[in-house]
Amino acid sequence: MDFVFKIAGQAGAGVMITGRMMVKCFTRGGYNVIGYPEYPSLVRGGHNTVQVRVSDAQINSPRRECDLVIALNKDAIFYHMESMAQGGMIIYDQLIDTGRFKLRPDVRMHALPLSKLTLDVGGTEQMKNTAALGAALAAVDYPFEMLETLIREELARKGEEVIKVNISAAKAGYDFVKTNGISFGSQIKPVHPERRPIITGNEAIALGAVRGGMKFYAAYPMTPASSILHYLIDKERQFGIIAKQTEDEIAAINYAIGAAFAGARSMVGTSGGGFALMVEALGLAAMSETPLVVALVQRNGPSTGLPTWTEQGDLRFALHASQGDFPRVILAPGDVQEAFFLTAKAHNLSEKYQIPVLVLSDKFLSETVFSTERFDQSKVIIERGKLVKGPLPALAPMARWKRYAITEDGVSERALPGTPNGMHVATSYEHDETGFSSESFVMRAKQVDKRASKMKKLLKEMEPPDVFGEKENAEVTLLTWGSMKLPALDALALLAKKGVKARLVSFTHVYPLNPRHVKKALRNSGATIMVENNSTAQFAGMLREYAGVKVDFHMLKYDGRQFFAEQIAEETLKLRESGYKGGQRVEVVEKEDMEYYNPQRHGL
Amino acid sequence: MVAIADYNVREKSQWCPGCGNFAIVGALKGALAELQIPQHQAVIVSGIGCSSKLPHYVNTYGFESLHGRGLPVASGIKLANNRLTVIDVGGDGDGYGIGSGHFLHIMRRNYDLTYIVHDNQIYGLTTGQASPTSQIGMKTKTTPHGVVETPFNPLSTAINGGATFVARAFAGDMAHMKEIFRQAISHRGFALVDVFQPCVTFNKLNTYDFFTKRVYKLEEQDPKHDTGNRMLALEKAYEQVKTNYERLPIGVFFKEDRPTYEDTLPQIKDKALVEQPLAGLDISKALDD
Repeated sequence: MDFVFKIAGQAGAGVMITGRMMVKCFTRGGYNVIGYPEYPSLVRGGHNTVQVRVSDAQINSPRRECDLVIALNKDAIFYHMESMAQGGMIIYDQLIDTGRFKLRPDVRMHALPLSKLTLDVGGTEQMKNTAALGAALAAVDYPFEMLETLIREELARKGEEVIKVNISAAKAGYDFVKTNGISFGSQIKPVHPERRPIITGNEAIALGAVRGGMKFYAAYPMTPASSILHYLIDKERQFGIIAKQTEDEIAAINYAIGAAFAGARSMVGTSGGGFALMVEALGLAAMSETPLVVALVQRNGPSTGLPTWTEQGDLRFALHASQGDFPRVILAPGDVQEAFFLTAKAHNLSEKYQIPVLVLSDKFLSETVFSTERFDQSKVIIERGKLVKGPLPALAPMARWKRYAITEDGVSERALPGTPNGMHVATSYEHDETGFSSESFVMRAKQVDKRASKMKKLLKEMEPPDVFGEKENAEVTLLTWGSMKLPALDALALLAKKGVKARLVSFTHVYPLNPRHVKKALRNSGATIMVENNSTAQFAGMLREYAGVKVDFHMLKYDGRQFFAEQIAEETLKLRESGYKGGQRVEVVEKEDMEYYNPQRHGL
Repeated sequence: MVAIADYNVREKSQWCPGCGNFAIVGALKGALAELQIPQHQAVIVSGIGCSSKLPHYVNTYGFESLHGRGLPVASGIKLANNRLTVIDVGGDGDGYGIGSGHFLHIMRRNYDLTYIVHDNQIYGLTTGQASPTSQIGMKTKTTPHGVVETPFNPLSTAINGGATFVARAFAGDMAHMKEIFRQAISHRGFALVDVFQPCVTFNKLNTYDFFTKRVYKLEEQDPKHDTGNRMLALEKAYEQVKTNYERLPIGVFFKEDRPTYEDTLPQIKDKALVEQPLAGLDISKALDD
């Protein structure tokens, strides 16, 4: 079973919250569920959608075609007709005049008096999305009690009145569909009810950080990273942490560096434009050897770009940000489990090696909600490295402690303010072993080498890429980094159905790269295809530079959406037909162009 | 017992002979000693500039950060460990120019920080460009025809902006300056001390002589000055403008008792963030939300 709903309507109509409710509702029925939101950078009037994919099999990404669309406004019908699966169904508000639309004969249209149903039970116009949710569940024969229980829990804080009217609205939608004999034809029944969590990439990053000992978070609002800030501020007292909204991103990262210097594990979160403002201080963290984690949630650049859409275009930026040379680590989680564990790991690495560590996510992973297994928290172990505990031996008069002592592994002992006899200065200037700013040629070279020498041990902390599918002799191998693992995994399943012996190599530890790991994963790979959400195959370039590996094809998409598994499979099959020959560059662009930004252009 | 000498370091300072910064370091060490703040319990933060080299010359913990970013670094340190005495120092270019955004917002938050600005009305380390506080008409490398921009008024900005302790000192009167620093460090909340600090190399207008002739002590010449009266404080802050720099009051302009930002955070009421355990925080409840 693999069923796809899409809830669509105007921004402010409650589409997002309804989508999340639906994801939770089916997760509780024992299904694997993905809720994938799309919305333009508008607060009012923009077209919002959530695709909810429900399956009893392992699913990893949204599907291109929808089975059942719940249209809360006329735009929803106009936009999504094209992407309906054969024999699909649209449930829409009766108030919508469909006279002007080109309808598809294979798509069933059912008008529902959503406003009337809601108002009749004492609800408000705003609640018609709840009635629509009830209607959608009825169309696939999902038991109403599942939704009722959920509404009770979700709205518990709002009081009995609100709960009652919402349940009534949902029930009205549900009953209308049942009474009028509207049925999709396929049923979704709860299979093995259990309470599995649902979580977005950003929530997983936030929780991974907290479990990983993060005590201080600072950020300036920026889509698609803002939900990390919202989530942590909402729970800061529960977790005993401080999450601070600052006046800008420059302040955010400098606050975090200050807090980390004082001994609190610290993180900032932002997207490309905000990270651009943080770059100078990234170098400060490096020069002062202050641990710092940066969650960089990518959207389309350059500049303001497409604020609410996705891309993997900031990898080279993350790799090269700041003047000068220094060691850093870039981790790119490919799913919510990895987002949780790698963010925790980022905090360990940053403190053990006293370096900045970047966690690269993107709008697709960070804002999509996934049903998942509970995190095995016992796997998170805190490692603080060479942190001084307790007082240090007395210093000679007027002397300072050697915070930046030259060591073999490049890591020096770190004393926190408050530690007796550990006085030193952290500085953005080059400095001697006590932190005193120094322009000695000898000391300069020594300190550069000291910092650089951390890379040797760091390389051992990097895990090899995960290999899926055909491990021995592949005909073709897909390579991904970060979130493109998700559609690529689903593409692997589609290719297997066509008899293609395909492998997927998914990188999460993208820098530093261990060439041996790369070569091992690519043994007997057949043709290699890098699948990246950017226009210049940034990671393919890094593989060439750091592992000496040249990938045969670059499959690239940079139109604002992530790849759909279907697109990866189709393009791979095309390459297969040509005997894996031809130009290196394979571009993928969406066929439908919905132009969400400006509905008026369509005269709607 | 902490003695002034305990704050001494081996390294010789790199300032020009006669620089106002020497007196500021001396007064700061004196204030710290009077307050008996152990070396390891104090953190002196700075930005970048001549004055921002100060953390190197006081034997406490120090953080010489980026140009204009001393205040956010100091704020982060304070939030992570509110048991520490955190002092931020910097110049007028650093704090009122490139870092002015932080200055405006960090005052509003009223962290328990002391912010000392070495205000020499010129850029020193970059060899003599106009600063936000350079006087109208002053000729510098970047204002060959004289400054035309209205000078930034740090005191009125701070009084309006939410600082809870606003004072001015003069580097030519070290004893008075030390007393102001002592009060500022003791004050619970955000304390600004703007210091007239002659730059003997690049500012030939605002010299020791210039200030000595014009400064007067508020508490002496105006014993009725009420530091709790915001409007009166503003009037004093504008005196330099009204008299075209002829009369320059020094001393405490304004004081206010207001809860600090840290006071509003129950999560650090009993223990500073850095004193709380890192491991073992169970996140399962959050997973069910």
